[in-house]
Parts: sequence; structure tokens; C-alpha cells
Amino acid sequence: MEYRNRAFIKVVSVVFVFLMIISGCRKKTMNEVVVYVSEDQVFSEPILRDFEKETGIKVKAVYDTEETKSTGVMMRLISEKNNPLADVFWANEPIRAEVLKNKGIAARYQSPNAREIPDIYKDPEGYWTGFSARARVFVVNKKVKDIPTSILAYTEPQWKAKAVIANPLFGTTTVEIAALFAIWGDDKAMAFMDDMKKNEVEISTSNGESADFIASGQFAFSLVDSDDAVSRIRQGKSIAMVYPDQGKNQIGCLIVPNAVVLIKGAKHPDNAARLIDYLLSKETERKLAFADCAQIPLHPGVETPADIKPIESLKVIKVDYGEVARKMEDIQPYLKQWVGY
Amino acid sequence: MAKRTILICTAIVLIVIGLLPILAMILQSVTIDGRLSFAIYKDVLASKSEWILLGHSFVLSILTTLLTTAIGMPLGILLAKTDLPFRRIFTVFFTIPLLLPPYIIAVSWFILLGRDGFLAQFLSRSAAEVTSNWLFGLPGCVLVLFSTFLPVVMLLTMTFLRTINPRLEEAGKTVSGWIGVLRTITIPMILPGVLLASILVFLLTLGEFGVPAFLRYNVFPVETFTQFSAFYDFGAATAFALPLAVITFLVLLLERIFIRKKTYEVKLASEGEGITVIHLGRGRKWFVLPVAVLCFFIVVVPILVLMFQSMSFDAYYQAISRSGDSLLRSFSYAAIGASVLTVLGFFCGYLIHNKAMPFWLSLDSLTIFLFALPSTVIGIGLILLWNRASTNFIYATPIIIIFGYIAQYTALTSRITASTLAQIPYSMEEASQVAGAGWLRRTTLITAPLAKRGLLAAWLVGYIFCLRDTGISMMVYPPGHDTFPVRIFTLMANGPADLIAALCIIMIIATLLPLGILAVAFKSKGFV
Repeated sequence: MEYRNRAFIKVVSVVFVFLMIISGCRKKTMNEVVVYVSEDQVFSEPILRDFEKETGIKVKAVYDTEETKSTGVMMRLISEKNNPLADVFWANEPIRAEVLKNKGIAARYQSPNAREIPDIYKDPEGYWTGFSARARVFVVNKKVKDIPTSILAYTEPQWKAKAVIANPLFGTTTVEIAALFAIWGDDKAMAFMDDMKKNEVEISTSNGESADFIASGQFAFSLVDSDDAVSRIRQGKSIAMVYPDQGKNQIGCLIVPNAVVLIKGAKHPDNAARLIDYLLSKETERKLAFADCAQIPLHPGVETPADIKPIESLKVIKVDYGEVARKMEDIQPYLKQWVGY
Repeated sequence: MAKRTILICTAIVLIVIGLLPILAMILQSVTIDGRLSFAIYKDVLASKSEWILLGHSFVLSILTTLLTTAIGMPLGILLAKTDLPFRRIFTVFFTIPLLLPPYIIAVSWFILLGRDGFLAQFLSRSAAEVTSNWLFGLPGCVLVLFSTFLPVVMLLTMTFLRTINPRLEEAGKTVSGWIGVLRTITIPMILPGVLLASILVFLLTLGEFGVPAFLRYNVFPVETFTQFSAFYDFGAATAFALPLAVITFLVLLLERIFIRKKTYEVKLASEGEGITVIHLGRGRKWFVLPVAVLCFFIVVVPILVLMFQSMSFDAYYQAISRSGDSLLRSFSYAAIGASVLTVLGFFCGYLIHNKAMPFWLSLDSLTIFLFALPSTVIGIGLILLWNRASTNFIYATPIIIIFGYIAQYTALTSRITASTLAQIPYSMEEASQVAGAGWLRRTTLITAPLAKRGLLAAWLVGYIFCLRDTGISMMVYPPGHDTFPVRIFTLMANGPADLIAALCIIMIIATLLPLGILAVAFKSKGFV
């Protein structure tokens, strides 16, 4: 009996000590950088691993989940304002970077690698810098003959109950609607939204779901991000990608770049700068273009796969992302009401 | 003196780790610019959509509870009380879903029933739409949570059946057949236990986050998380969490008043008396068939689907290379968490069983309340309380994850210890007390060794729950310290389907393999 008890205690102790060793006694390293990432982990992690390999700097990351509408790490950054753990924030769109700037969480950093990136995709004061973008595009089912070419198609009678849009309270759809409010003004934008509703547009939970609805033929078209469209086309789905509003008097398509931000009070500022430089390099943009996220490089002359149009060949909405961020906050009550939230 | 000090320390640890974060949350939600304000609560209560969400949560919880109880209780009786063939294998199989993060079952059903799932290849497009729409909503959530929580009712029914004195049933059999005995003696005696299991299922479903979030059925815990994560609103998140906390509190209060007393009245059968077995006779095959079909559909099919989906070397290579580090972390955090939970649970269980301090009831209620509280609520509370420079040694390290485990799961180890201690004759401790041994000596040399089976069970249960935890870990994990279930969750965003399936299979193996090894090791040593 006593022998068994001792054996029991020994086994438990050995297991416990072993686990303590593998969990806690790793070599301590200060050559590290902490990054919070809202770009999908499946695409961002390989880039961060390459950075680790090339620089020897250990990357500690916190990633977002689809279920938090990719905003969970923003919550952490805001709640950690007075106790920042992150050095760098890799946002999958620039509005969050603007929010951090306005809340005093971002710090200035102008990377030498960002010189060739067009100014429209950079904060003029250097609080964030854009890279590798998505375009807001139409996915259209291949059986549809009369292809919509403008965002105004959402309000046209021929598309009544045939179009889908992702919930405008979240993600890049919010950015797009806020951009429309910024360039059209409140009255015209609200009229557009109301007409869209009267035209019985279907609201999906995400851009991915919208693209699936179109691929399955349930609806004719939807605004989604270009990566949602390209990934499904590469999977052989029956959809086509259309860049909307490319005509002479049309507004163009919205470009949604990733944005990288240095966090105020970062504990590893030098390593943070090196990571930001790395993310803003042409090589990172090339990798993200060839990955399944199919992102559009913002540097001129970066090699891209055949199914991605270079940024120079697109007519884009000329928008101040700072103003879009402010607008987004203003119109949130209206959008909640619009969705019936 | 040592007894008093250790038990008070146990209570303080649970209050600091479990209760203070919740109080910090409530304080934050009723303070606007340093002034007391209930504006956020007024907004939440005035909003129509919040009542709709509460309705969703209730409907989901009630349907899941009814289904698990209606099937779990007869299943438990069949497996524990009859000579049904393969009953041990069935028991193990039915228990598997409880050991896994519930969203893994959801992923599997998605691969099978989704718009481009396996079935869609054999059905027409419109039929695939129907199955997909069915899965993404209330029916899908009920299906997944039913298969996850069925073992709760089944196992508790089996446990409570063992507490019935067989002589009562034998006496009943002299005047009636087994159906009459079951109806008039057995079932009425285990009914309080079954109701307890139902309440547990109700509360676990009410607080479930992962499955409704994945299957896009908007319920209160998902909304709490969204308010917190998408709108950066701590106050609103707390206000959203409060109705769930109140419901949890009320349900537990009712349980304490109406059921707990009755479950305590059930007398434990002494060792060796065993359980009276119902011989099914020639009808055995007719009972095996429905049990096998149910087991096939809710356990075997989801696992097979994941195996088929992940059937490529590259998927497993990618899964291991992308998640090997988080898998190791999960093992170690779960083992450390389980060990801490076992120690705390032991003292807490001792305190409750012996009513050793005046606050035993409050501490018991606190641990149960925290267990039933949605993990997202505990996560928010922990961030609010520990996110400051002076406590970064907790907040910025894996200790915050262990704190989360302690807050949520101490009830499990504490209850298991209390039940174990109830089976140890008090005379043993009394004898050593008369011999002059102090409390600490008596506890470590007499009580703990006598309770070793219960403590091992407590450790294993703690390990499983820590390993499968997603809600708390996802909210509080420090940079570079994500756990395996969290890694699966984050890779799900646009991750290839075969990679996700491979990760889920690895999670299943990672849960079952150590349990199997430990069971074999301890069995050979004679501990179980």
C-alpha cells in the first residue's frame, strides 16, 4: 500500500516536473518583437516566420479570429493602452490604424521601404503605412448574362432580390459604405442605402458567405474583397470577378490596403522598426500576391500572378482613409438601424 | 491552526482569481467618467434585439437540454444497468465528444453538410443548400451541442444508478417486473441526479460560445464577445453578460433549494454491493441497434468525416509544422492547470464536505457559479483586473491562462473531491487524531492517499477541461502563447479545409492518447 502511494507520488511528480521544464524553462530571449495581427493567420504567419529566419528576431504574435470579425486584437490594443504589450499592429485594413492613431495608441514611424508606395495609402503624419491591398470587387455568377458594372446596380430594378452584400456593420463592407458617405455626402449615400434596401438586397454574415451564395447560383452578384473572389475562382467555382465603376465618369473601386502601425510605448522599438520595414518591402508584397489571399502590391513593378491586376491599371476611389474612419464612427447608429440591429 | 490557514488561503485564492474579476467588470459597467451610472444597462434592456438574443439563448438551451435528457437518461440506464452487448465500448465512444472542444464537431458537420461538403457531391445543389441552411442555425447548434453534452446526462445517470441500494430494487421485483421497478423505484430515485445533469447541460449550453459563433446562430455569449471585440465596449459587454449571470445564479439557486437536498438523501451503496443488472434476454439485439445507430451518427460519422477530409500527408505535415509549438504548450498548460486545480479542489472539496468553515456554502456556490458563467465573461474580467504594468508578471505570461482555468473549472475538482471524501469513513481520520497527528499530517498521510482514486479522477477531468478550453484561452493568451484549440480557431479563417481537419484529428488524438496512456499506466500500478 505504502509502496503504491510512493510510486503514485513519484509518477505524478516526474510528469509535473517534466511539463514545468518544457513549458517554463525555455531559453529567455530579449531579441524579440511582439506583433498583433488581424490579417488571417494562415497568410500572415508564413511572412512572420520568414522574418524570424532572416533576422533571428523571435516573433511573438497574437492573431485574430473570424468570429470576432477580425477585431479582437484591436480590443486588446485599446485595453492595453496604458500597458502596451504589442510593438507592432498588422491590420488588414487602414481604418483600425486610424482608430489607433486617434486614440493615441499609435506612434510615428516612416519606413524607408515605403517611399515608393503612393501617398494615398499612407498616413501623412506617419502613424500608419499601407501595403498589399485588396480591391472591393463584384463576384458575378457565370450564368448571369447582363453583368453589373457599377455599385449602383444594387438599386436597379433588374437586380431586385438578386444581389447580396455582407453585413455593413462589420469589416471591409463598413469601410466601403463609410467611403461612399465620405465621397457622396450623407444625403446621397443614405438615399443609396435606402434604395438598396427597397431593392431587397440580401444581407450575409461575411464576404466569404456572399461569394459562396453567388457561386452556388442563389444570387446574381455581390460586393466582396478581391481575395474572396480570387480564392474561389482558383478553386474552380463558377464565378467571375468584376472591378466595379471603371468607366470614365465612374468613381472607381475601393482599395483596402493592409496597414502596419508602430505601437506607442513599444518595448522593442528597434525590432519593431525592422519588422515594419520587412512588411513594407517589395518581397513581402510579392509573397502576399502569390499566396491564396492574392493581394495587390502597392509598390510599382512587383511581380504578380496573372489573375491579379496591377494597381496602376485600376481606377480607384480617391479617398482619405482618415475621413473614412471618422465617417465610420458617425454612421454606426444609422447602419445599426439600417440592418435592424 | 494549519487547517484554518490553508482553508482560508484556498478561499482567498478563489476570491481573488474568480470573484474579483467579475466584480471589476460590474464596477466598470456602472461607472462612467468616475460617476455611478446605469445608462448602459438601460440601453441593453430597452433594446429589442437583445431580448431576441436572449430568446435565442433560451430556445437553444431548452431544446438541447430536453433532447440530451430524453435520450441521455435511457441511454445511461441501458449502459449501466443492463447486459447490453458492447456497453463499455459504447460508453467510451459516447463520452468522446465531451472531451473535445465542441466546435470540432461543428467543423466536422460543416465538412459533411456544408454547401460544398461531402453530401453536396451526391445531392442536388438545392438539397445541399437545404442541408447547409439547416446546419447554419438553430438545428445545427442543437445537433452539435446535443452530441457534446449527451455524455453529461448519460454519465451522471450511470453514476447515480450506482448510488441506489440494490436491496430496494430486489424488494420491488418481488411484486413487479423490471419495467415497474424502473418506473416506481429506480427512476424516481435517480431523478434528482438526472435533473442536476439537465441543469448542468442547460447552463453549459447557455454559456457556449464556440459552436453558435461558428454556426452563425447569434446568442448572448456571442453578442457579449462581439460587443467587447468588435465595438471595443467593455461596459456594453458586461451589461450583455449580466443577464446570463443572473439567469445562472437563479437556476443554481433553484437547484440548491429543490434538488441538492434530495441528491444528498440518496444513500451511497457500500462497496461490493454493486448494481442489479437487468437481463435483456432475446431482445438485446433490438436495443443494440438504436444505440449503435445513434453512436454511429453522433460520434463515428464526425470523426470519420474529419479523417477523410484530412487524408493527405501534406495536411498533417502542415498541421504539425504550423501548430506543434502550440500543441506542446497546450499539454503543459493543461497539466499545470489540472495539477493546480486538483490541489485547490482538494482543499475546497474538503472544506465543503466537512463544512469546515462557516463560509463553505458561499465558496461552494461561488465555484459552481463561475463554472456555469460564460467563459467570455470570465475572460473579460481577467483582462480588466490584471491588465496593468504592476501585474504584467501575471497578465503577460501564461499564468493568466492558468488563472482562467482556476476561475472556471475549480468546481469540477472540488465536487469530485467532496464526493470522494464522502466515501472515506471519518473514523480513519479520527483514529489518527486520537493518536496525536496534526491536521496537515492527517490530510497528507491519511486522507489524501485514501482519496487518491478520486484525486486522479479530478486531475484527469481538470486536464481534459483545460486542454479543450477555447473561450478563456482565446481572450487572454499572451503574445506567443496560444494554445492548440485557439490555434485551430485562428487558422480556420480562410485556412485550407484539409489542414483544419488534420488539426482537429490531432486535437482528438492529443486528448485521447494521454488519457489512454495514463489509464494503462495507473491500471498496471493498481491505482484504478
